[in-house]
Amino acid sequence: MQCKSCGTELPKKAKVCPKCGELVGKQKSDNLKVIAVAGLVIALIGGLLPFVQNTDVELISDAYSFMNIDVPAMWYLYMLAIVVSLVLLAVKKDMFSIIPTAISGIIFIVSFVGMNFRGYESRKLYNLHSLTDLLSNGYEGSSYSVGCGVYVVIIGLILGIAGCFIDIMKYFKKDINVDSKYMTNSINRKVWSKIYYHRWFYVMFLPVLIMILLFNYWPMLGCRYAFTKYIIRSPYYVGLLHFNTMFTNDVFFWDAFRNTLLLSIVKLILNTGAAVIISLLLNEITNLAFKKTVQTIVYLPHFMSWVVVASIFRLILSVNSSGMINQMLMGMGVIDNPIFFLGDVRYWRGTFFFINVWKDTGWGTILFLATLSGISPDLYEAAQIDGANRWKRLIYITLPALANTIITVFILNLAKVMNLFESVFVTMNDAVVNVSNVLQTYVYRKTFGSGNSDYGYTTAVGLFKSFVGMILVLGCNYASKKVRGRGIV
Amino acid sequence: MSKEQVVVARKKKKKVKIFPIVNVILFLVISLIIMVPIWKVIVDSFDAKAGYGMNFLPQTFTLGGYSSILSRVALYRPFLISVVVTIAGTFIGLLLATLGAYVLIQWEMPGRNFFAYMLLFTMIFDGGMIPKYLVMKDLHLLNTLWSVILPLSINVYNLVLMRNFFEGVPESLFEAAEIDGCSPMGTFFKIVLPLSKAALASIGLMYAVQFWNDYTNFKIYINKNELFNFQMKLRNMVMDNDIPDEGGIDPNTIANAAVIVAILPFAIIYPFCQKYFVQGVNVGAVKE
Repeated sequence: MQCKSCGTELPKKAKVCPKCGELVGKQKSDNLKVIAVAGLVIALIGGLLPFVQNTDVELISDAYSFMNIDVPAMWYLYMLAIVVSLVLLAVKKDMFSIIPTAISGIIFIVSFVGMNFRGYESRKLYNLHSLTDLLSNGYEGSSYSVGCGVYVVIIGLILGIAGCFIDIMKYFKKDINVDSKYMTNSINRKVWSKIYYHRWFYVMFLPVLIMILLFNYWPMLGCRYAFTKYIIRSPYYVGLLHFNTMFTNDVFFWDAFRNTLLLSIVKLILNTGAAVIISLLLNEITNLAFKKTVQTIVYLPHFMSWVVVASIFRLILSVNSSGMINQMLMGMGVIDNPIFFLGDVRYWRGTFFFINVWKDTGWGTILFLATLSGISPDLYEAAQIDGANRWKRLIYITLPALANTIITVFILNLAKVMNLFESVFVTMNDAVVNVSNVLQTYVYRKTFGSGNSDYGYTTAVGLFKSFVGMILVLGCNYASKKVRGRGIV
Repeated sequence: MSKEQVVVARKKKKKVKIFPIVNVILFLVISLIIMVPIWKVIVDSFDAKAGYGMNFLPQTFTLGGYSSILSRVALYRPFLISVVVTIAGTFIGLLLATLGAYVLIQWEMPGRNFFAYMLLFTMIFDGGMIPKYLVMKDLHLLNTLWSVILPLSINVYNLVLMRNFFEGVPESLFEAAEIDGCSPMGTFFKIVLPLSKAALASIGLMYAVQFWNDYTNFKIYINKNELFNFQMKLRNMVMDNDIPDEGGIDPNTIANAAVIVAILPFAIIYPFCQKYFVQGVNVGAVKE
């Protein structure tokens, strides 16, 4: 094997050219140590969590009673052990980092299982706790940083120990035949010079980074409220209580979940189907001016906000004498009394689907039309000469060419199924809550509709929604990779 | 052409003739279905006795609806707020999207992949409505216009779209600029941006539509009457009949006129910018 940039002869398993620092061969990411470091940092944060929030208990006693130990030295020892093993990792003595990590783990286990004897009886909150009790209920009535802390510490320690262990195994597995100078990059200067070279780009990325951290990542941290009761005053930890209530006791939640899936999936099928049919027919139109005009008209509703669309339909579907549709139907003798389309449980869903098709079908045709215009006319000509009629050409040429786009559009939109909000929110009203409430509107109405609502509970509902949404996105991403060789995210 | 082919072609010609006519009629019907609700609202906005029956032209013509919207402070202010939010939001949004996209095409930059994954993860997992609300509360942005401008202006989808556009800029141009002593900022402003005018138009329009039509964020983050945008006001007018009596003008007329005013800005520029809108959709799906 030869180095690509300087031509030095290298052994077969080399990863780095020692002469020029160029990476060669298959690069295996060195993420094992990352696991160890991440785990240790998490465990460290877990130990420090009680300091995050002010409570009415003294902070330092909070800290070690949180670890369920009554000898403060144990808490200091735990923190010290983790810091030591982080330092060992930093100075590349990976081999030995498992020892302090294991010590901190032992302290944790002993403090919860073995030394679970007296606790701080004088402090009302922190009496005897068993680990299982803690995991399900937390410290009753304590702040979330203390309550969830146990989870954080456990996750951190498991990751840390596993990471250190894997690092050690790697050391033994190392191929001793290859000189280590071929395995690691000793010319680190290159990275630093690259970073220096790109310094202005980091500055340019800063605003984006700040916005992302503020408005996307910070709210993600807010998911912790799902495990707390949060009514006006500061939140306190209640474990999985909300999820328990949600799944077993809350009919409205299940209604909302069912409505979300039903409304958005039927909407998706109707919209995509209508868009495919319309673009197939539109593609057959030969008069360009007519085609352009039709396109302009059918795209138009897409630019109206949901409020505008809801207003328009509210006005023309009105039950009183100004409602055009009801007047028309009554004039034709189809119905005797005006129908309250948006306020009747029987008609709401149908009306909702119609409004959606009306608004977005035209816009949905853009991609299909682009694909259709890409089909070579030679194919049609050849088929025509072979005697294929319009129908046969549609089945054998157009649809196969379109199939990939249809699946793509379907997958792209399937990933957004859980986000249904505004379209429902502006068309629903109290009379049709049962058939129209979706998860997002449920969260909104429950939180802002009444005073003194529990932010914790609605955050839990939102977290469930985000979780299902995440599974959908990842699933669609996987499907997309299978179908078109490229993910959606 | 052989004899059989001619026969076949002739046969086709005879058989097919009816289809285009049906097709054209079909599309006239479809256009009608799209246009009738809009037309009805237009008509009623000019009708002093808004829409009694199925009239397709105003029976008693009046401009009262529009004049009362333009003259009433209660509606003038929301309109202005909509305009301000749209302009400021589009500007900030474009700035963030172009900066982020420009950094994302620096494949050599250490940490570039980390930033990219960081952005993509926000498309996978979402904090949820309530945590976002609480963050706004913590930042003391509730009931300020920032709360509706900032969260919408960082749009990862638009950023990725912009990156796809930027990738079309030839590599050699960057190299040439660098050799000529152009700083990264200089390259950005003097080469990348001027070459991506179409992309800027396309994504800028997407941002503008998004901000003009924004209702959800206003509904969640703002509950002060004087900071409502036009969509909020429109919603109150039509749904809750919140239309104060205005000397002799049918409240229905005013509501219809308000709908038209809400549509108008984009209805006017849309026919001229159609190609940019369409371009944005196509680039988004073809290369993501």
